[in-house]
Amino acid sequence: MPITTTRRRLLAGSAAALALPAFARAQSAVKPRLTAISQWSAGSDGAAITALGKKFEEKGGTWQHSPVPGFTTEMMNKLRAQIIAGDPPACSQLKGPEIAAWSKIAPTLDLDAVVAAAGYEKVVAPDLAKLHKPGGKWIALPLQIYSTNMLFLSKRAMDKAKADKIPVTWAEFNDLADKMKSGGVAFPVANGGTRPDDGQKFEAALAGISPAVYRAAIMNLDEKALKAPEIKAAFVQVRKIADWMDPNVGAQHFSTNLKRFVDGDMGMMIMGGWAQGVLRNAGFKFDDFMIAPGPSDNSKPVFLLNADAFIFWQRKEPDLQAGQTLMAQLVMDPAIQTMYSQITGSIPVRTDVDLSGEGWSDGQRRTAAALKEAIASNQAVLSLAHNMAQENGMTAAMIDVITEYVKNKTIKPEQAATRLAEAVESSR
Amino acid sequence: MRERTFAPSRILIYLIVSLIAVAWLAPLAVVVLNSLRTNEEIAQGSMIGWPQHLAWSNYATAWSGFCVAETCAGIRPYMLNSALITIPATILSTLLGAVAGYAVSLWRFRGDNWIYGIVTLGIFLPQQMRLLPWTIVLRDTGLMNTLTGLVVIHTIQGLSFTTLFCRNYYVAIPHELIRAARIDGAGFFRIFWRIILPLSPPILVVTVIWQFTHIWNEFLYGVTFTTGQQQPVTAALIALSAAVADIPQHGVQSAAVIIAALPTLLIYLLGGRYFVRGLTAGAVK
Repeated sequence: MPITTTRRRLLAGSAAALALPAFARAQSAVKPRLTAISQWSAGSDGAAITALGKKFEEKGGTWQHSPVPGFTTEMMNKLRAQIIAGDPPACSQLKGPEIAAWSKIAPTLDLDAVVAAAGYEKVVAPDLAKLHKPGGKWIALPLQIYSTNMLFLSKRAMDKAKADKIPVTWAEFNDLADKMKSGGVAFPVANGGTRPDDGQKFEAALAGISPAVYRAAIMNLDEKALKAPEIKAAFVQVRKIADWMDPNVGAQHFSTNLKRFVDGDMGMMIMGGWAQGVLRNAGFKFDDFMIAPGPSDNSKPVFLLNADAFIFWQRKEPDLQAGQTLMAQLVMDPAIQTMYSQITGSIPVRTDVDLSGEGWSDGQRRTAAALKEAIASNQAVLSLAHNMAQENGMTAAMIDVITEYVKNKTIKPEQAATRLAEAVESSR
Repeated sequence: MRERTFAPSRILIYLIVSLIAVAWLAPLAVVVLNSLRTNEEIAQGSMIGWPQHLAWSNYATAWSGFCVAETCAGIRPYMLNSALITIPATILSTLLGAVAGYAVSLWRFRGDNWIYGIVTLGIFLPQQMRLLPWTIVLRDTGLMNTLTGLVVIHTIQGLSFTTLFCRNYYVAIPHELIRAARIDGAGFFRIFWRIILPLSPPILVVTVIWQFTHIWNEFLYGVTFTTGQQQPVTAALIALSAAVADIPQHGVQSAAVIIAALPTLLIYLLGGRYFVRGLTAGAVK
């Protein structure tokens, strides 16, 4: 077995060498340069990409990163403008099915050889890999992963409920919420009021009830699966969650409620792994809360993937080409992924990075372990709320239904299920 | 002296007006208060509250401290960029709008109303719709990612509003004035310079306020057609507010928002009394 691996690696390596003579020559002749566009401008995101840039320069490259602050739309406008102007960046931040959509607009770089040389494919979750190779060729590389369905438990709310067991299934979650309610926790579920927030409640519910139906209905938009009883069951669960939330949250960011969560006025939070960093940056301690994978009815962790990535655009300039190769190598490098995730609080894309060492939090270790287990049991799926499962238009249509259902309690679960199927049908 | 009366209806009116004023000013009050609170204080307490101690450092950080990507210079350089875009574009679009308004209101020519209509049509075109055409223009003129490009965009787009404002103002000027000047031998530009412009300050103040505020606050083009260090202040403000894994920096954000709003506030304070007067001038003939 080890021999075959080595041989395969060798073959891949020589294939890379053969396929990329231009790159090889360029690398030796010119100083690699990289033009990059991303949204990451401030905070830990900004710090992480800046650190990546430093590494790029240490390797002898010129780093030209121009952040486009704001939301994805702004960055897309910028990208479109650059492409139309005939000057696409050497690489730009892009994620999910948008990678496939945008790859039709301008020629992308074939990264197969570099990826094969690094032996990268076998350490990436299969569904995730697929997103980055539309048409069968790697054109983009994932950089870091968040899970959107982590369960955060308030220590003080747990004390009020006299509970210490972390709920594993939705039934246990509901039990605990009831206990919290009767123990004096005003709102057993802490939440924000944004669209992704509402979307996360639904995807966590459905994927926790049945990852298979989630994959078929939400990722593959299978008509039959969209009418499956699990969809209705998920909406029933979402209504329970909504009844436990503070209705007066408006469209606030979830972080507005962190104080109430830590104080035990709110009990549980279903949020992305990034909430850990937010809690820590707000000055709260690890003793104030617990982190676990979101509820899963078959007791094996379900992992809703949200991954940031870079797409690489074709450039003729030798220095940019050399820069692209260097960037690709860096992004796949376990040491770089470690550095990056330790700054942002995400977990590495590579499933073979050891998180036992210093610099990692328990939450990150648990998330990484959950990802490994979820991949093994085929329960790592792509997040709808964070634009990983569908293109933007389809996502918006589906989240419309979900967010209305969360806020309008006169809509019945079966109605919501029908509306969801209809929304999918009309945006196909 | 007339006796002051406090009729119940008057008290009621003042009460209602005060309530509306309080509701109107509440968000500003929250921003001002938060600009003086530390991040931890806000995160550990509530969004709304009195500062426990005055954190003036928020203003220092906002002005010259916080990092946007690899540069940690606060909003200062971006304020300068915004000024370099806004001031020329405001002056140019106001002057051109005045000339255009003067031409379509006081010099009747074939198709003048059509031209006026087409120019003002620009008001109704959504910004997003014009994004791609501008991209192509900037590409072909080589002005992509330059401040000059943004000055050109805002000058041309501003013409819709400035022409509308000036035309409606100049329509009220008696045609006899122009005719008399023509008999005296004055041409198009001499009449504009000697007769129209001296009559114009109220409307010019309005257009300057309008243009300055809009260009200063503009974000979409600013972020799309610039890169890195050339971005306007609105982009820097958004950069401060959009971080996924961080607690929102409410304190520094609030301070930065207040600093960034000062120039437009100043323009209003200086020219505000002309604003409504100029807007309504020519509305009723």
